[in-house]
Amino acid sequence: MDVTALSAGQKYAASRPATEPTAATGGSLFGHVMNDFASTLAAGETTAKAAMVGDADPHALVQALAQTELAVETAVTVRNKVVEAYQEILRMPV
Amino acid sequence: MSEFSKALSVSASGLQAQSTRLRHLSENISNADTPGYRRKTVSFDAAMIGAHGVSEVKTGRVRLDRTELERIYDPSHPLSDQTGHYEGSNVNLLLELADAREAQRSYDANLKMFEQARAMSSSLMQLLRR
Repeated sequence: MDVTALSAGQKYAASRPATEPTAATGGSLFGHVMNDFASTLAAGETTAKAAMVGDADPHALVQALAQTELAVETAVTVRNKVVEAYQEILRMPV
Repeated sequence: MSEFSKALSVSASGLQAQSTRLRHLSENISNADTPGYRRKTVSFDAAMIGAHGVSEVKTGRVRLDRTELERIYDPSHPLSDQTGHYEGSNVNLLLELADAREAQRSYDANLKMFEQARAMSSSLMQLLRR
């Protein structure tokens, strides 16, 4: 009786939970960061709209846009780094 | 909120305060010939923004300069009294110009800090890009 295939299947089933994403750790933290990023962007947009119709101070507009630029720059850089790392993993010989 | 964005918001508050100061200065200068006008002086207050613990600057209450109004001799002026004098404003154009120059220098300094915070944050991100 060939048990190697069966045992490989069992090992695979046993190791699967270890690689599953857990709800409480990295995911929620990253989601929190993303929410922060989105709210910075939204604040920038709101200020820009208000400045267009003359409600907001130009200093507030410049500040909000610089804040947005900073956030976008950070997000893009981190994303590039993450994608780079992911591609590095994909290139790993299996 | 990172330190850089705090620095940006503090600099922006400084810019705003200096532009308010410039507004009051130009009010003084444009009213230099208004009879009975007293020049306005602006004060600056440090405002703590509670949640982030940064102290931004804001302009405080506008005060009127209590020095004596200039007495100008012009008997034909409708506001002149028995001696032929009327009260002009107490705006000293030289003072206003010096104050305006100071406001411009402070504005430049705040602008420089704004630029520097931006440059520093983007060079920090440059580190991750190589």
